[in-house]
Amino acid sequence: MSLSDPRSVSRRTVLKAAAATAAITVAAEHRSAWAQAPTINFTSWSAAVDQVKSHVSAFEKATNLKVNYENFPWAQYRTSVVTRLVGNAPMDVLWVSDAWLPEFAEAGWLATIDDVPELVKYNADAAPFCTQSMLYKGKQYGLAYYGDHMSFVYNTEILAKAGITTPPTTWAEVVEQSLKIKQTGVVEYPMLMALAIDTWLIEFMSAMVFSHGGRFVDAAGSAIMAETGKGVVEAANWIREAIHTHKIVAPGAVETSEITALRALGSGQHAFCIVPTYRLRALNDPSQATAAGKLRPTLMPKGPNATASATCGWIRFYGMTPGAKANATRRANAVKFMEFFGGKDTGGNYTLQKLLLTDVGLPFCTTPLSNDPEVKAFWTRWAGGGDVIAQQAATAVKKDVIAPWFGEWNETANAAWQSIFLNRATPQAAAASMAQKWKELRGS
Amino acid sequence: MLERLGRQFGYDERSAALLVFPVFAVLMVVAVYPIVYSFYTSLFDIVLTRPWRRPFVGFGNYARIFADPQFWTAVQRTTVYTVVTVSITTVMALFVALLLNEAFPGRRLLSALILLPWATPSIVNGLMWKWIYDPGYGLLNGILVQLGWIEKYIVWLGDPDKTLFMIANAAIWKQMPLAAILLLVSMKSISNDLYRAATVDGANVFQRFLHVTLPALKPGLMLVLVYETMISIRHFDLFLIMTQGGPGDASYTLSWQIYVETFRNLKFGIGAALSYVLALATFILSYLFIRGFGSKA
Repeated sequence: MSLSDPRSVSRRTVLKAAAATAAITVAAEHRSAWAQAPTINFTSWSAAVDQVKSHVSAFEKATNLKVNYENFPWAQYRTSVVTRLVGNAPMDVLWVSDAWLPEFAEAGWLATIDDVPELVKYNADAAPFCTQSMLYKGKQYGLAYYGDHMSFVYNTEILAKAGITTPPTTWAEVVEQSLKIKQTGVVEYPMLMALAIDTWLIEFMSAMVFSHGGRFVDAAGSAIMAETGKGVVEAANWIREAIHTHKIVAPGAVETSEITALRALGSGQHAFCIVPTYRLRALNDPSQATAAGKLRPTLMPKGPNATASATCGWIRFYGMTPGAKANATRRANAVKFMEFFGGKDTGGNYTLQKLLLTDVGLPFCTTPLSNDPEVKAFWTRWAGGGDVIAQQAATAVKKDVIAPWFGEWNETANAAWQSIFLNRATPQAAAASMAQKWKELRGS
Repeated sequence: MLERLGRQFGYDERSAALLVFPVFAVLMVVAVYPIVYSFYTSLFDIVLTRPWRRPFVGFGNYARIFADPQFWTAVQRTTVYTVVTVSITTVMALFVALLLNEAFPGRRLLSALILLPWATPSIVNGLMWKWIYDPGYGLLNGILVQLGWIEKYIVWLGDPDKTLFMIANAAIWKQMPLAAILLLVSMKSISNDLYRAATVDGANVFQRFLHVTLPALKPGLMLVLVYETMISIRHFDLFLIMTQGGPGDASYTLSWQIYVETFRNLKFGIGAALSYVLALATFILSYLFIRGFGSKA
């Protein structure tokens, strides 16, 4: 090799440079990994971002730990999180929906917290519905972020204009009152329903089914949804008749998403609607809705076979990854984080739970907070009192279709529901297709 | 071997190879490898939520797809959508190109205005048409009621008989301008002598169009048909924004099925197999267009 051959020299130089670059990169990665060691990786969907950020700052200040906070839009959250979990991306704590718990637990992406006394102690203060919703096969997988249920909301002004003094208590009365409102010409479609293929559709339908005294599956997990008298067929039939026979629900309901329905309800164009309870704050905020102050919750109307005004409830919770739990330092930090966010902060208060309610309207799972004067004032201001909400929360039932195959079954169910609403299939036939899919997935 | 290659190729060839290599390497990484890997993926029953299992199923995913009635529903919807979109886009683009090929005051401004929909981002296009079609406050219903053509607001996207056509309309609105410009470019290349000769032979305007313009436009038409078919058959964004495959399964197309299987059901094996089926269908259609038009053109 001689200096007279410039290409040889250049090749060697390139190789040296490449080796040096690789060495620097490896060293930098080690350094970066070392620097990241005390950092807690927290992943959530993009909700209550300001409140979470402020609480992250408070946590960092109180514990001297760093938090790497990432959030993704709700619509892409499950896919984003699953791909990150499969790819072993650094994650310590994440928000989880109760609907994904079986799927995540079966895949080994969530760690149990039964052996973490710092977290389990908060069960004593939590509503039983919330704790139950974080259990899978008898093991607890997290600490509540918030717990909510579907509320039946009515417009006091529209009812008064139609001469109706008390809101409906049964679905038959909803039809009766809606027809009266329609006849008086106050509004064309008194009952508002968000029946678009949307992530909320299963919650709306579950609320309808549970309020008809029904269930999708029996205690053993077998599908009973296609059986007449078990609630699903009756609830679906009520909606079909409301659209096509009574004409109290707009035919465009199949393309009305939850957020569109909220806008329509807030504009004062409808007398009745089913909404997530946390939306009451925005619905009764004069800066966001013209019908503010007139939208009040009442107990979910009952179907002919129902004994109670049941509704659908759900929770979202903080879960810990097995990777975090397996490492002593990461586990300790993740536990501190979960306690600060899902339990009490270092001052011994349920600060975030209260903040999420008062700022965003998200109901909490922490029962002692119900007696807090600020909480009581909140419900009085935004919902005309908290009694109905507390009563309804007590009858909330979690979706009984939550299973490892829930997501895939729900795809079939969404199309089946819509075929009923469009009058393209009978409730029996559509429910049979849902039941068939359930059976198929359960057996696979 | 390197020495043999060194003797076989001169310094210029080796330098050229060295310069081309980075692009070649990038293409291998970003194009060839994913294509090959996705085919490999399609041979496994990969479900992301069951990370502990990854059985090799060979062409089992393909067999499952063809046995699935939902797939044939998707094929039917995709065919209807593609035929409607491509045919109307091409015919409208041809008329617009003919118009823009004529000299008249304001032609340049009109050409620029016609291109505007094409420049609109797909997401904006979908949202805009969703609002226009809204059954409660949509512009389309408003105009039709004011014109007295309908008495009550109509459900457009929520009606399974209308959905595909309403989405196709939104797609045509966006895709037609580019097709028109492509055809216009082809028209501009037709020699005026041909028109003059046809006129001397007594051909009227329709005969000139049929016997001069149309045959000369074959390469342009082929390009438009291939391009529009490739776009329409794989269309996804409008379905995501406007209907999510609904109402019911009225807009459940192949691209929507790929999305549902891959990103909602997280079944990457089936999703990859479906993608290959769609890619193959696109390839066959393009080949047929090129065979049908290309050789004659």
